[in-house]
Amino acid sequence: MELVVNGERRRLRVGVNESLLQVLRDRLGLTGTKEGCAAGDCGACTVIMDGRAVLSCLVMAFQADGRHITTVEGLAEGGQGGKLHPLQEAFMEHGAVQCGYCTPGMLMSAKALLDADPKPDRETIREALAGNLCRCTGYHKIVDAVEDAARRMAEGAGGATVAIRADEARVGKAGEGS
Amino acid sequence: MKEMQSVGRSVRRVDAALKVTGRARYPADYSMAGMLQAKVVWAGEPHARILDLDLSAALALTGVVAVLTSRDVPRNEYGIIDLDQRVLAAEVVRWTGEAVAVVVAETEEVAERARDLVKVTYQPLPLLLDPIKALDPGAPLIHSGRASNLLGSWKVRRGDAEAALAEADLVIEAEYRVPLVEHAYLQPEAALGYLDEAGRVTVVAAAQWPRDDVRQIAHALNLPEDRVREIVPSIGGAFGGREDISLQILVALAAWKTRGPVKMVWTREESMRCHGKRHPFTMRYRWGAKDGWITAAKVELIADAGAYSSTSKAVVPGALSVAAGPYNIPNVWIDARVVHTNNPPTMAMRGFGTAQPAVAYERQMDKFARALGEDPVSFRLKHLWDEGSIQPTGATVPPGVGVKETLRQAALAIGWRPALASGGQPSGKGWVRPELPPLPDGRRRGVGLATAFKNVGYSFGFHDRSTARVTVDLNERGEPLRAEVFSAAAEVGMGVHTVLVQIAAQELGLPVERVKFHPVDTSETPDAGSSSASRHTFISGNAVLAACRQALAKRSPGERRVEAESTYDSQDARPTTGLDPETGAGNPHIAFGYATQAAEVAVDPVTGVVEVLRMVSSQDVGRAMNPLMIEGQVGGGIGMGLGYALMEEFKLRDDGRVRTRNFSEYLIPTTMDMPSELESINVEVPDPAGPYGAKGVGEHVMLPAAPAILNAIRDALGVDIDELPAGPERVWRALSGAGRASSGPERTPAAARKGAPE
Repeated sequence: MELVVNGERRRLRVGVNESLLQVLRDRLGLTGTKEGCAAGDCGACTVIMDGRAVLSCLVMAFQADGRHITTVEGLAEGGQGGKLHPLQEAFMEHGAVQCGYCTPGMLMSAKALLDADPKPDRETIREALAGNLCRCTGYHKIVDAVEDAARRMAEGAGGATVAIRADEARVGKAGEGS
Repeated sequence: MKEMQSVGRSVRRVDAALKVTGRARYPADYSMAGMLQAKVVWAGEPHARILDLDLSAALALTGVVAVLTSRDVPRNEYGIIDLDQRVLAAEVVRWTGEAVAVVVAETEEVAERARDLVKVTYQPLPLLLDPIKALDPGAPLIHSGRASNLLGSWKVRRGDAEAALAEADLVIEAEYRVPLVEHAYLQPEAALGYLDEAGRVTVVAAAQWPRDDVRQIAHALNLPEDRVREIVPSIGGAFGGREDISLQILVALAAWKTRGPVKMVWTREESMRCHGKRHPFTMRYRWGAKDGWITAAKVELIADAGAYSSTSKAVVPGALSVAAGPYNIPNVWIDARVVHTNNPPTMAMRGFGTAQPAVAYERQMDKFARALGEDPVSFRLKHLWDEGSIQPTGATVPPGVGVKETLRQAALAIGWRPALASGGQPSGKGWVRPELPPLPDGRRRGVGLATAFKNVGYSFGFHDRSTARVTVDLNERGEPLRAEVFSAAAEVGMGVHTVLVQIAAQELGLPVERVKFHPVDTSETPDAGSSSASRHTFISGNAVLAACRQALAKRSPGERRVEAESTYDSQDARPTTGLDPETGAGNPHIAFGYATQAAEVAVDPVTGVVEVLRMVSSQDVGRAMNPLMIEGQVGGGIGMGLGYALMEEFKLRDDGRVRTRNFSEYLIPTTMDMPSELESINVEVPDPAGPYGAKGVGEHVMLPAAPAILNAIRDALGVDIDELPAGPERVWRALSGAGRASSGPERTPAAARKGAPE
């Protein structure tokens, strides 16, 4: 199959039972997209396929053949390290991120909304995010962030590049020295 | 005090950029070359003897590397307090989430097929799902060889509650019931295990208490603790559910046995089935009042421990210690028992035993206020603790008591007003309920509030310790240039790394951008205790603060780097004790966080559907370290409390198997369930022992939501709902006079009154 992921054309062989989520995470190494339930209930795996938010755990890999996919890794302009999308900036500033596991799916649902409806009211935002579960925030900060991102985009304000702190755990290589 | 350039400010979370770009890595995101995949064979029966384990078909499958059973576990026992759980079941399984074998294979697909080929023959044993029946003298034993299924019991005896009840002019008695509840963190359990470059068994996992995981892994594998290492990357929520071991020992065992990297990822169904839950409680409350004052509280708590003890022996005495609320009540009699059944083990969950009694004592307070013709604000205010008040255990309430102010603030924000005299000034005669104009759609509106409290830090004489190390680079004048904080405080989402960085930045006079939080790895970062009990800001914050001050004190001319390590131990600063077994006398808690929340609801009398329109939260946090992150805790706490009130119940079928297997069957609030208006007000009454006066915030902002919503439903409908969740059917039945929606005998919670004023 062939698909375009975050602007990059990818060709790969997939199994008949594989989901788009598995292709993204396991074959393409795009682990930003999360699995929360594998049943379409939680929204953590939301990506954008040809402009629409889809649950990548429910999309079979072959259904994505020939499609354009955007994941959280492709949200910043120019990809990782590029200028952040206003949604990403707003999520950081409004405290819309806590554990962060729902965040990639939330961002993609919100992007699909703003692409289709650049000036949504709060109720519309709530409805658009109703399929994305979050256990940490109670959603208000997320709705605030989406509202603010819409405002920023209307004003044409681009995001700034942000130095990402690499406070990440180092995991060693398998079996070294053992 | 120096100017606060970082403490008290809503600085951006240190992990925010990683999390919004998808670069934050959670356990399932880690992989290694040549990695094997592991799957668990779970108990096929909720209570049974294992007669035979046939691995032959599984082992014969191409690609299977190993099938591990109880015989492969060097010391087959673990547990956070008691070592009463088996890593892999040997003889008996006591709930359906118990692991029987682990299959390790070259691919996930082969591991799944092999798992399904493991044949286990069971002899079913009698099933006990009801904790009250499990207390019967003739009940079958969940753990053979013990005298009964009772895991523990505690009591408080203060004054003479029976005599006070006999003299009371108003007695209100009710039975409150709260269900089994699932943590429902978004990230299912996952781990990668491998042998590191030093040959240490290493596990990458989401853990609340990394050092305690190491202790339990090392014990089970019969290894010295320094041969075991846990790395804690980003964690997708915890709420208490990751305080106990889930898959850590299984993955460590698989890596140790196969000498290779092994990954295990649980499905949502496995997560829901195989980790512990919040304790269901049956709570019998019989309180009395005389001349408008509550004089006696008699309380009986029965909690379900499920199959294993986990932290039940701390959760349930915790519940006991708060069961009479943050109120001055002279005569208190409390009994609390916790009982084994074949249900999932119950464990820590946000509140740690304080969420359940809050439902009962706050419904009681509302019922008394109503029966006495007083408003719920004034009635609470006249009973609430002040500085120097005495707890039912006889101990003085820890300093920093802002509870009354939380009530005033929440009441004002939702619309209650102090009654005014004719001159327009407050008359001092009570508070006036907000007027709620009727809704055009025929739904009934109501407003209610509740006050609750929770201990901060570990209780009952436990040494609540946290160690932090700080390294500081200095310029030629000895001024800090940058710093790094080392602490194994697990960032489960609440923002502990950010708060600890803020404290270090404050103490060192650095911008937060110049302070790095070292990734949590037990081989490099000192033990900070668990991410629980709302304790890290207080306990670990004090450790970081002291380490920074010590580092600065160590500076000498020409030195360009200083380092200091400090351990904070609550027993030095604020010693606590256990409870006397006969009277409950003691000083159980380090500090308290208080909160009042108020709800406005609309209830559809035809369908019983409750919509929460608006909520207000006011919390005493001692010192607001990061106001934006506190708002985040409040939002999440209200979300979890709203779910508790209206929809959440982890259900088992009569045969002991899980009915609510995933998010389509176990419902948690979505955006559409949350109130469209939410207001948060901080009250800052400092705790002199907390860093900058801070107390903590994680748990107490979850507690009042459920009773506040129940009180609002009562206000809207005129009927009492004393059992959670208040779903449409239960509300509708209460409204239509059909009694409780649950099965079981009808219980009448109606007030037993003697001369009560109407």
